[in-house]
Amino acid sequence: MKVGEPEEFIIDGKRLDGRRVDELRPLKIEAGVLKRADGSAYLEWGGNRVLAACYGPREIHPRHEANPQRAVLRTYYSMAPFSVYERKRPGPDRRSMEISKVTRQALESVVFTHLYPMTAIDVYIEILQAQAGTRCAGITAASVALADAGIPMKDLVPACAAGKVGGHIVLDLFDIEDNYGEADLPVAIVPRTGEVSLLQMDGNLTQEEFEQAFKLAIKGCMQVYEKQKEALRRRYGGSRE
Amino acid sequence: MERKLVIPGEEVARGKVKLGDGVYRDGERVYASVLGLLDTARGQVRVIPLTGRYFPKVGDFVIGVVKGTIYETAWEVDINCPYLAILNASDYYREVDPFRTPLRRVMSPGTTIYAYVREVAPNRRIYITMRQRGSRVIRGGRLIQISPAKVPRVIGRKRSMISMIVKETGCRLLVGQNGLVWIGAKNQAVADIVERAVRKIEAEAHTSGLTDRIKEMIVKEREKV
Repeated sequence: MKVGEPEEFIIDGKRLDGRRVDELRPLKIEAGVLKRADGSAYLEWGGNRVLAACYGPREIHPRHEANPQRAVLRTYYSMAPFSVYERKRPGPDRRSMEISKVTRQALESVVFTHLYPMTAIDVYIEILQAQAGTRCAGITAASVALADAGIPMKDLVPACAAGKVGGHIVLDLFDIEDNYGEADLPVAIVPRTGEVSLLQMDGNLTQEEFEQAFKLAIKGCMQVYEKQKEALRRRYGGSRE
Repeated sequence: MERKLVIPGEEVARGKVKLGDGVYRDGERVYASVLGLLDTARGQVRVIPLTGRYFPKVGDFVIGVVKGTIYETAWEVDINCPYLAILNASDYYREVDPFRTPLRRVMSPGTTIYAYVREVAPNRRIYITMRQRGSRVIRGGRLIQISPAKVPRVIGRKRSMISMIVKETGCRLLVGQNGLVWIGAKNQAVADIVERAVRKIEAEAHTSGLTDRIKEMIVKEREKV
């Protein structure tokens, strides 16, 4: 069931799914949902459903991948066959390998890997249902899972995309906007320092548009960051000795 | 005592302070690096982790299982941590001559031991010893695993929790810092009670007045048997 290209993306200041241009899709994060993982998170972001699990630091296999100076962070992004309209062939492909790599790089900058030499920290991101923006959803869930696993890190890493549809700069594209829009700009940041740990762009933007979209995405990230912290507080909240 | 829950990246102190575990400095300010409870007692800032794996520290008692590879003069022991733990023949609790008796015959793979972490070498090899008082070979009983972050609660302040459980049930209880717990009880029913108690402590580690509640629970369960 594929929806054709809409004539208008924004009608009376509202987007096709009823949001304002600077509004996120509803976001819900839950930490610690998997019993057997060291840390985990489940996330619902609009139509996206993401499960992230973190294991480690643990013994690294194969052994030759070990780094005597630091832990090796390994991320696996994968989409369930039923996560999209047309069945996706299971297993890694070019796209998921790329996303695994950018996710790893987005998270590597915050994890204190030097504390655990010769070990591996594995993060598995499973997309159960996709509705655009899954790499941002994946990074967001993965960093909550890392914190839930008790891995030392500088900060959480929220991610959020902005883009251009029908000539307007909008926040957090959903699938129709992503498919028929003009540009998509996923951003991940380290909120405490303002560092950018993921920045990709699909489509074209002018310099002014880029700056506008970038600022909007960072605003979105900050909202996501609050949700991440909330999720962890809810999981461990009320803690006292 | 109420302690604040902190999340990685949260500011916990400013200026000149002594840093403990679970925090890092960036310029003037100090931030939490792990999820846990903030502790500023004894002139240092640290975060007590609420989750996470076990990392051996010298001075810890751990429960380990002898692995399949046994060397000429040492055992390899699984102590539930990412690094290799070695028990040298000279660290066995009594004299053994590894060239006369093969170590496999002294302790075969699968033997459970209660041992002491003697050294964490810079190459992250862990040396454990059974020469420390209290170490021993464990026979029979039941071995369960809990989250290493919850171990201090199972032990209790000055071992209060362990003492209480032992007193109430008459079982023997060894708690390794690595999250392995050994229960030696007269019968299965008692072991069941102790296991449930330990699981309850693990689940409710963050609440206060736990010792009393566990005691209540044990007394109630004992009546049922």
